[in-house]
Amino acid sequence: MRVTRRLITVGFAAVLAASAAMPAFAADLIAIITPSHDNPFFKAEAVGAEAKAKELGYETLVLVHDDDANKQSQLIDTAIGRGAKAIILDNAGSEASIAAVKKAKDAGVPSFLIDREINATGVAVSQIVSNNYQGAQLGAEEFVRLMGEKGNYVELLGREADLNAGIRSKGYHDVIDEYPEMKIVAQQSANWSQTEGYSKMETILQANPDIQGVIAGNDTMAMGAIAALQAAGRKDVIVVGFDGSNDVRDSINAGGIKATVMQPAYAQAQLAVTQAHEYITTGKAPAEEKQLMDCVLITADNADKLETFALSE
Amino acid sequence: MPRFQAACTLMLAGALALGGCKLVKTEDEQRQAAAGAFNPDKLVADIWDAKVVPYLDGRAGAFQEVSALTATDLSAAAEKYGHKEKQGNAPWTFAARIDGVIVGEETKSRAAYVDVDVDGDSKADVRVSIGPAIRGTALRDSLKFVNFNEFKNQIEWAQYGKSFNTYVNGALLEKLPREGLTGKKIKATGAYPLPAKGQLPQFVPATLTVGG
Repeated sequence: MRVTRRLITVGFAAVLAASAAMPAFAADLIAIITPSHDNPFFKAEAVGAEAKAKELGYETLVLVHDDDANKQSQLIDTAIGRGAKAIILDNAGSEASIAAVKKAKDAGVPSFLIDREINATGVAVSQIVSNNYQGAQLGAEEFVRLMGEKGNYVELLGREADLNAGIRSKGYHDVIDEYPEMKIVAQQSANWSQTEGYSKMETILQANPDIQGVIAGNDTMAMGAIAALQAAGRKDVIVVGFDGSNDVRDSINAGGIKATVMQPAYAQAQLAVTQAHEYITTGKAPAEEKQLMDCVLITADNADKLETFALSE
Repeated sequence: MPRFQAACTLMLAGALALGGCKLVKTEDEQRQAAAGAFNPDKLVADIWDAKVVPYLDGRAGAFQEVSALTATDLSAAAEKYGHKEKQGNAPWTFAARIDGVIVGEETKSRAAYVDVDVDGDSKADVRVSIGPAIRGTALRDSLKFVNFNEFKNQIEWAQYGKSFNTYVNGALLEKLPREGLTGKKIKATGAYPLPAKGQLPQFVPATLTVGG
């Protein structure tokens, strides 16, 4: 039986023949490449993927590309050179990453993308995509509801070079702009950063004291904004974030930030490793390459259940 | 010009499957042609009467039946009335038909809705969106013949979802009276995603009549 299975594996993918002939998969390597772990979201991805890979008996190589496509390309070379059986990748750009993923494919190393998608299909085996747009719409709907569908508000954008900054902003506006009494008075980038979120909020507040809400492209900027608002004695201003970090959970529970949107970082990284394992051992790819992972609205009602980008039942 | 001919020859020789230089109208090629100028409103308008309404008509069950079956046997309900993307973590979306009485209305909000009693106990069983702002993408998500993998990325997929809501607004909801709805009869065919525990199903209509 075992022999038959090996033969089938060989038949499925000649490039895997070498590994299929080995007695066990224990020494096989999975490379896990993400943006910088400074953001707890990407750290949760790496930790989730690593835990699942080890559970399935793989060695892991955990690397960060710091959102630099050139560095990502070098890391892919490293993974190929080290003989990785699969690459789990949160990529450094929807266009720039296509060549890197193709390079791995041509070298016989399948890629399993998480969080961000690339603008090409048939290159990666799977793309498990965080539905940033759907998440942004959820966050915006709650923001509008909390604002009573009217008032002056501020938007803090993420780093403009990052596709997700644009996707989230577009999702926000597709909802908010349907409410003519919602008036945007300032829209600035705080580059995903908490310290910039604080300083930008301080400046905006001086120029526009008459605001009722702030919607931020991620949680770290929302944390900066709420700190600046509280320092100015403006506890009435509604703040909504995005990511579902433990910091924002604690702020919600303390009556600070009102809502955020949780992306299932940990779960989707684990799912990617499971699919990689399936592909390595049986040659079977998931039924569909692109798989959307919906986000979940977090408010005071369910914040207690949130821990490290996962909701308990 | 010679370069263009060379390109044509190459395409004919190398990729007959693409149909050479002649434009053949298939859905795929229309989509590819539109890729330069993605026009989701047109994509929806093009399939609404021919595919969307007939599909929902055929697929929908009476809301009471759909709702009862989702509670007792979710996979049977999904098989019969439901749809979701093959992978990912989206909830099931169900096609259903509503025939009931409006027992509550919220028309001050832009995301206006009516609450409908379908079983005669005067209590709300389902919340029907009446726009102009419609939450979610239930109509898109109920259709078996549209698929995220056929779109360039999540932005275009989301815009496509929103275009269904835009279409319904223009075709049905804008004409709806906004006053004195409570007590009136309502019939609708449409879709709703599996609601969270203890919440009313959020139904988006594709056809709707209110009166009587």
